Amino acid sequence: MLRLLCTLIFALFVHVSNGAIPVVKPVKQPLVLKMDTAKVGVRHLDSAAITAHSKQPEFQYKDDIDTTPSWWDRFWSWFWGLFKPIKLGKPNMSPFVRALLYILQYLFLAAGLAAVVFLVLKLMGIDMLGIFRRKSMSANLPFTESLENIHDINFDDEIERAISHHNYRLAVRMLYLKCLKQLSDAHLIKWQIDKTNSAYIDELTNAHQRQLFRSLTLQFEYVWYGEFAIDGQTFKNINTVFQDFNKGIA
Amino acid sequence: MENENFENRTDLSKLSAAVNQIKYTLAQIIVGQQDSIDLLIAGILADGHILIEGVPGVAKTLTAKLISKAIDARYSRIQFTPDLMPSDILGTSVFNPKSAEFEFKQGPVFGNIILIDEINRAPAKTQSALFEVMEERQVTIDGHTYKMQEPFTVLATQNPVEQEGTYRLPEAQLDRFLFKIEIKYPTLEEEIAIITRQHQQKTTEQLTHIQPVLSGDDIIALRQQVRSFHVEAKLLEFTAKIIHETRNHKSLFLGGSPRASLAMINAAKAIAAIKGRDFITPEDIIYVAAPVLRHRIMLTPDKEMEGASPDDVVAQIIQKIEVPR
Repeated sequence: MLRLLCTLIFALFVHVSNGAIPVVKPVKQPLVLKMDTAKVGVRHLDSAAITAHSKQPEFQYKDDIDTTPSWWDRFWSWFWGLFKPIKLGKPNMSPFVRALLYILQYLFLAAGLAAVVFLVLKLMGIDMLGIFRRKSMSANLPFTESLENIHDINFDDEIERAISHHNYRLAVRMLYLKCLKQLSDAHLIKWQIDKTNSAYIDELTNAHQRQLFRSLTLQFEYVWYGEFAIDGQTFKNINTVFQDFNKGIA
Repeated sequence: MENENFENRTDLSKLSAAVNQIKYTLAQIIVGQQDSIDLLIAGILADGHILIEGVPGVAKTLTAKLISKAIDARYSRIQFTPDLMPSDILGTSVFNPKSAEFEFKQGPVFGNIILIDEINRAPAKTQSALFEVMEERQVTIDGHTYKMQEPFTVLATQNPVEQEGTYRLPEAQLDRFLFKIEIKYPTLEEEIAIITRQHQQKTTEQLTHIQPVLSGDDIIALRQQVRSFHVEAKLLEFTAKIIHETRNHKSLFLGGSPRASLAMINAAKAIAAIKGRDFITPEDIIYVAAPVLRHRIMLTPDKEMEGASPDDVVAQIIQKIEVPR
């Protein structure tokens, strides 16, 4: 019953609403065609300007191009001609042999080119292997006192010269180096440029000799590395110990 | 070291006594590792930061802690973790409602002896917080520069990079460490001694009874003394040649920096001091070469694949260079 009542009320509302709103119809405006009445001035190309332009070489498209090759073009033509495959063998040759010859001629050409490059680089004094590996930039510091040839040094002369100049520090150094040389000559140590003094001490098998040499090494280190001042009397004491040790080696 | 003809230019008696005392104290608890302890002491005397590397359980942190305890100075410890922030190390500005101003709260890096445990567990962002403080001994935050109090030493421990959860430290940071000390496994005899001591419960008791041997001021004075040691010109050349060769060696991708040259001379001076000399010898330089260079140089990938170590390359380089004599 209630549903019926609601439906009736809704139908009444719709009817009243439709009747209340007026329908507005659109008014069509008449079409007007607008005409352009402006005057158009026709422009003509300037024939004098065309003639002037056409006389310029940039605009002379119909001229014949000079096709004669320059000397530079002739050189490259000759150069690339060298690499053109040479017709080798007879026409009835098997395809395999023909291909082999074809490859071989290129290999010869490559080898020839490599030889020329090698010759040029060699003449220029460039290290061939150095081009391909990481360049070593090791320092060429002056090794004025290198000891690599300890056996070539005349120690007695050097010691005498140092003493005569009162350069006792250098004299102690020479005494120590002489001592190392004698130990090396007696096969008690093995001389190597990278060995430290302790390494030589450890190489000595005789305990007494090792103890003495350790003491000499200490003297040398204070004088040479420590740069302690040394007078004639101190040098005399050190020299005596060195002489005694050297006698023991012999 | 006795020498009847010469006496050291500087009095090393206090330094020698302190070094012997530290060595004795550490030997009570640490078994073996004599070279590592010498290098640790040398690092502190040379005013350098030290990186200690080893697999877990080889007493890296314990050694660093003991050294710290032997010095009476402000000690702080930072455990590096993956989520650590730079401000957790350096400090941060905090707003004070009373004064209505920002106040700087110092981080744990403000100390004398800083123990950074497991330094390579933190990422590069956190590591960068240490760059300024390790080199310039200062921290700049919010436009203000805070100077560190001397002595300032960083002792850091780390596991090898192959271990799980570790990061490779930036080269710039590694270069700031004077030494990288590698702690190896103990020998069989040492292992037995470690177990015996632990079984007798000696180690824990002794750890609590460690008395400081040196004060912060003592350290400063000793460092100045070591710095004044004599170096013969040929030895400077020898050091430069070693470093120069690292830059051109075919097995190396990255060579030593000029900072490495300076570190090598300073470290050699400290080693000479421990040996009772006030001048350095080639042996001192050779002794410190590997700990100074092993973290600074980088092997080429092919050498790394072959299993070569930086120590091998350093040894090769030294073999090629004539010892000045």
